[in-house]
Amino acid sequence: MSTTTHKAPSRPNLVAVGTIVWLSSELMFFAALFAMYFTTRAVQGPKLWLESTGMLNVKFAAVNTTVLVLSSVTCQFGVFAAERFQARRTSTLWRFSKWGMREWFALTFLMGAFFIGGQVYEYASLVHEGLSFSSRAYGSVFYLTTGFHGLHVTGGLIAFLIVMVRVFKAQKFGHSQATTAIVVSYYWHFVDIVWIALFSAIYLIK
Amino acid sequence: MKASYRLFVGLSLFYAVMAVIYYLVGGEAVGITCISLSSGLAAIVGFYVWFNNNRLGLLPQDNVTAEIADGAGELGFYSPHSWWPLPVALSACAAGLGLLVGWWLTTIALGALFISVFGFALEYEKPSASAH
Repeated sequence: MSTTTHKAPSRPNLVAVGTIVWLSSELMFFAALFAMYFTTRAVQGPKLWLESTGMLNVKFAAVNTTVLVLSSVTCQFGVFAAERFQARRTSTLWRFSKWGMREWFALTFLMGAFFIGGQVYEYASLVHEGLSFSSRAYGSVFYLTTGFHGLHVTGGLIAFLIVMVRVFKAQKFGHSQATTAIVVSYYWHFVDIVWIALFSAIYLIK
Repeated sequence: MKASYRLFVGLSLFYAVMAVIYYLVGGEAVGITCISLSSGLAAIVGFYVWFNNNRLGLLPQDNVTAEIADGAGELGFYSPHSWWPLPVALSACAAGLGLLVGWWLTTIALGALFISVFGFALEYEKPSASAH
């Protein structure tokens, strides 16, 4: 089929362009959530914020953040493997340098799943301490912002699964499969950067 | 592509400057956040176009002496028709409806959504002839 023949790059990959444009609109979605957080913070006053943010476990969230950031690194290694059309590892499991896209993306998936697990644990412990979605205004904005982000991460995890199944089904690793891997990595980097901003706003700036 | 990236990077800088001015004239949280992130929106597209401009060079759309025929060729794969968007949309609707009706509906709908999304994404994946 003509889709797998190599042609000189005469135009940017439209799938990648479309994904980038969509990500910039997703950024505006998170802009609305950030605006909601800052407005509520301004309206509610410092007292509520001080006592609410005191309940947050910043160290735990920092560990979770580190895992997510590192998952972006493993994702990028997967992209490098995809760009050289290497779907699977060419050596033993321990030789990281010989890993293919499949191994790197599987590792990224596990780290992303760890992040979600951490979020769920954090939500459970906060609800147990009395901070729930409807308990106070801070709860509302905290769960809305981090919750929507968590849903985005979960969507990204499903996307990684789809990429890996797609590569498996197609057997031959061509431009189409590499494109899919690349655009999923764009999404994952975006999700990671949004989390860094969210973490800074909620856990650091407070 | 140079025109494209200049446009978006220019917009990004404009929004950034506007965000600062808005903050200084006493703006409120929503405005400052949204104008700053609009700058981010333009920056994401602008950076991507700039990066690709360096990689691709002069494209037919930027070449003043180009002919229409220079832009000919395959644009990409576009699905001719598909039933899959329907189950995806119905599952998503059911998931939303479940917020009103009850969590049980949302749970079932999320399962259906998971299956529909996979069906949608993998519709055109056929094992290549070399696999047989």
